[in-house]
Amino acid sequence: MGDKNKKWFSLNLNRKVSNETTCGCGKSSGGCGSHNSNPIPNTDSKIKSIGGERTKDGFEQVFDVKMDRRTAFKKLTASLLIGAGAVSTSCSMLTGDETKEKAQIDWEEQFKGNYKLMTDDEKKGTVDRLMRSYELRTGKKINMSSKNANEDVLFGYAFNISKCQGYMDCVNACVEENNQDRDSQMQYIRIHEMKDGRGLDFGEADDNYYHEVPAEGHFYMGTQCFHCDNPPCVEVCPVQATWREDDGLVVVDYDWCVGCRYCMAACPYDGRRFNWKKPEVPEAEINHNQHYLGNRMRKKGVMEKCTFCVQRSRAGKNPACVEACPTGARIFGNLLDPNSTIRWVLENKKVFRLKEDLGTEPKFWYFMD
Amino acid sequence: MRKLVFGFVFFITLWSCKHGEGEYHGVIEKIEVEGQKYHGSSVSSEPYIEGTRTIEITEGAHTFLIPERKGQIKSYACIDCHSKPLNQMQTEGLQKAHWDIKLDHANENTMNCVTCHNPNNMNNLRSLTENDIDFNNSYNLCAQCHSKQFEDWKGGAHGKRIGGWAPPRASFTCVNCHNPHKPHFESRWPARFNTQKVQERE
Ligand code: SF4
Ligand code: SF4
Repeated sequence: MGDKNKKWFSLNLNRKVSNETTCGCGKSSGGCGSHNSNPIPNTDSKIKSIGGERTKDGFEQVFDVKMDRRTAFKKLTASLLIGAGAVSTSCSMLTGDETKEKAQIDWEEQFKGNYKLMTDDEKKGTVDRLMRSYELRTGKKINMSSKNANEDVLFGYAFNISKCQGYMDCVNACVEENNQDRDSQMQYIRIHEMKDGRGLDFGEADDNYYHEVPAEGHFYMGTQCFHCDNPPCVEVCPVQATWREDDGLVVVDYDWCVGCRYCMAACPYDGRRFNWKKPEVPEAEINHNQHYLGNRMRKKGVMEKCTFCVQRSRAGKNPACVEACPTGARIFGNLLDPNSTIRWVLENKKVFRLKEDLGTEPKFWYFMD
Repeated sequence: MRKLVFGFVFFITLWSCKHGEGEYHGVIEKIEVEGQKYHGSSVSSEPYIEGTRTIEITEGAHTFLIPERKGQIKSYACIDCHSKPLNQMQTEGLQKAHWDIKLDHANENTMNCVTCHNPNNMNNLRSLTENDIDFNNSYNLCAQCHSKQFEDWKGGAHGKRIGGWAPPRASFTCVNCHNPHKPHFESRWPARFNTQKVQERE
């Protein structure tokens, strides 16, 4: 963390200074896709492309906004509690180093900015804190990445309706990969069982069937977040906690989301899922390979959804659903690469998208053999 | 006056034509234009393919990797047992080798063992016109009838990738997913049932 350039206030309760790499992706060498060739974090010179929040940093975003008294009071109380905790732990002679470190982390996490506005070093700072905090709380290590979008990549997806047999192996793989709440049985993917000869009638389709598949006279069609290129869900977010990344992934900053669910209402494809309670995953089943914008552990009251497995796809792997599908109905790849298989599908098969007339430009195509 | 109205309408149309970045009319155009500037990306699938022994094939305009096959067949080379042509090896009354293989592929008029296996040289497969086909390239055998699937497979619309989406492309070949003696997919129960959803809907 470049301490001098940090935009939120630090307590520095005997925090150990660790070795830092200069790049936000966590690698010490190049090739992380960071566009910033200047290794010194300089937030002022870097203008991030976000609607009205071009210059405001995280601290100002918290305090320099109009809010009603109730919200303001709530925020203040929460912050004060954390502050009080931090102060009491730092003054107490009895508390150990770890407790102080925890308080320090909580403080910095509470006042950190929107991930979208962070420099690469700030991104690295927050994932480092989250990893350390997880370790302090559970004694287990996780690996969290803040890898940026790769250059010359735009992700796209194709789904072969004639191949899908309704096995739902993809749903299982997705739940495990993305640490989705087991209790409420959250699922990003839905497989709709549709009657032959009735067209794409989602009203009549069943997305929670349980009988031997494929069922006679039916076909199967999967939906999830389509990562629209013109995403209405992003437009409506009052705090810009959700946005489209340069590689086309539509992501959510779970720490910035206020849980208003506007985006859920705005999505025409039922792509978003809300955490009505604290999501829980048995420790043994947690996927420890995480990304800040992807499958890291969420909290109560925030929005989440399919991220095309950002923790996998940015590393060159296929999303878990693509890998799990036994029939090869799911195809994923780089739309900008003219030699990619996804491009071949788009150019040679008869593809269509759902609700194309809305102009949402989903990057998720359907096709048939 | 009319000019004014037209001007106004024109202005409104311009103004209301809002797309993500304002630069392109839709994602297809974006892909076409930005794809022209594509000069390879830094992401690679190589680390994920490493564990699989692959061979490179070129079919039409497509060059990619498929898994090596012969090393995966348990008792290759076949001629270790099949030292003589098939018709000289059959003895009545003895337990048959390969008794566990039951052909469930097309019908008896269309296919039997020697439609694909070369009875005179079991180390190789053979085409309908009796040309040798290497076990590593068995997809050539399937392509004789399933030409449409073959086209889709070459392009990448049929079948699955090994490793990831990033280049180099490695794809499973036909026999990695389909048992050639029984190529269809079995029906079975879905992997998951959401009991919570049932409750919510009640
Ligand atoms: S499918 Fe829905 S959630 Fe996903 S990008 Fe489009 S509008 Fe947003
Ligand atoms: S639920 Fe979260 S991501 Fe969605 S609109 Fe509200 S604040 Fe934004």
